[in-house]
Amino acid sequence: MTEPTTSRSDTTSAARTAGPTRVVWDLGVRAFHWLLVAGVAGALATGLLERKSLFDLHVYLGTAIGVLVLFRVVWGFSGSTYARFASFVCSPFTALGHLRDLLTGKAPHHVGHNPLGTWMILALLTTITALLATGVIVLGGVAKEGPVKAFATYAFGHAAKTVHEGLAFGLMGLIGLHVLGIVVESLRTRESLVGAMIHGRKKNRADDIGAAAATARPFIALVLAGCAIAGAYAGTEALARLPARGVPGPVLDKVYAAECGACHTPHHPSIAPAATWQAIMANLGDHFGDNADLDADAGQRIGAYLTANASERWDTRAANRLRAPSASEPLRVTHTRGWKRLHRHVPGEAFASAAVGGRANCARCHRDSDSGRFAARAIAIPQERTKP
Amino acid sequence: MKHLRRTLATLLVLAAGSTATLAGKSAAQQAIQDGYAAAARAADPAFKGFSAERGKAFFHAKHGGGKPETPSCTTCHTSDPTAAGKSRAGKTIAPMAASRSPERFSDQKQVEKWFRRNCSDVLGRACTASEKGDVLAYLLSL
Repeated sequence: MTEPTTSRSDTTSAARTAGPTRVVWDLGVRAFHWLLVAGVAGALATGLLERKSLFDLHVYLGTAIGVLVLFRVVWGFSGSTYARFASFVCSPFTALGHLRDLLTGKAPHHVGHNPLGTWMILALLTTITALLATGVIVLGGVAKEGPVKAFATYAFGHAAKTVHEGLAFGLMGLIGLHVLGIVVESLRTRESLVGAMIHGRKKNRADDIGAAAATARPFIALVLAGCAIAGAYAGTEALARLPARGVPGPVLDKVYAAECGACHTPHHPSIAPAATWQAIMANLGDHFGDNADLDADAGQRIGAYLTANASERWDTRAANRLRAPSASEPLRVTHTRGWKRLHRHVPGEAFASAAVGGRANCARCHRDSDSGRFAARAIAIPQERTKP
Repeated sequence: MKHLRRTLATLLVLAAGSTATLAGKSAAQQAIQDGYAAAARAADPAFKGFSAERGKAFFHAKHGGGKPETPSCTTCHTSDPTAAGKSRAGKTIAPMAASRSPERFSDQKQVEKWFRRNCSDVLGRACTASEKGDVLAYLLSL
């Protein structure tokens, strides 16, 4: 028995129309959809919380989302009928026409994505891709990590962060509209679209608009996606081996480390501008209340080292944020607006604790302070044991 | 050959150094002491040598004239020179007693630098050669 079908396309996938239901969403589409839901939920949560401890997880989730999107693009050319872009991509005017039909109650029933759904998918995929791109730029410019660390300046990364955050809110708006669309369409067609995305099946209807049948090519898809992912991975690895832009070498000057490190943690020269270092070196007789006189030759060498490696020379987050001295206490890095902002989540008691020993003791919490990187993941605030 | 000779020479110097340490102080430490003795004699012809006792009293005394936060050597070095101290910025200072930190008092420049800084902070003036020699005698005797 053949059902009478009113179809805009000449051929419907006859093999799948037999019986009361048919498989519309293949395993590739379903797995992609729900993995993407999990990945995006995790990425939004870890991103919006802005916890440094969640930063690595956020980057991993972003990478996983990138892999999923890559797979989906490949599957859009090699999946089964309704997974293929050719089966659903339409002009925006078609989508507007569908919206008008919906409002007048004349909208037809599409087996796969309807034209409005198509444009939602395109908007979601584009926004997610833009989030991935801006995320990589933030990672490179601000954290000086990842594939573009050799090219992205701090200023560029910082600007990309604003775009990244804006896109994240845009994505949440799109997700809201997407869920609204699912609810409306489920009510209109009296068929749960959520269920369809879980088990993959939809009811056969007389007025279905189908698409030309296409056979899934999972083997080709996996090979293609595998090659694309391997290529992206190899490219990222190769780029990550380049030196990060504006990041100092890992070793402090020996004389500087020995002389200044005798009394306090030797601060990396990149955390203050040259003028601050010169003012400090000119007044070692009263160095924040202590006499820290140096022999002339040691003083000259240390002064030259600090000036040559001051914040102006480097492009790390610390160098950028600590470049402007405080007006009231020009020699104290801990009084700069940038320092205060960067440490705004650290409670005052943490600095006062015996385990830390004050705000100037950078190395106590920043395990990479010697290198001037001050990476988020290298922060470990020592926990003071509470007395019983 | 040249390499071997240099190694031998180094070993000899090290051996001489360690024997001197066992005997009380190294050649370098003795030289610094001698320098202070010569300066003290030049300042006061009646100078009769350094005293570990006087050095001990000086080290533990509460001096005036310097900064109120640092009235004594013991402020940072603690009253036990064989124990580690702590700088005002929170950095650990190795024990002052030469028996615990054998590399101490072997570099004239370093010794002078620390006397210059710390005498200014604790006493508000430079220390005399005889005060420095006494303190050294005390810390070398522990």
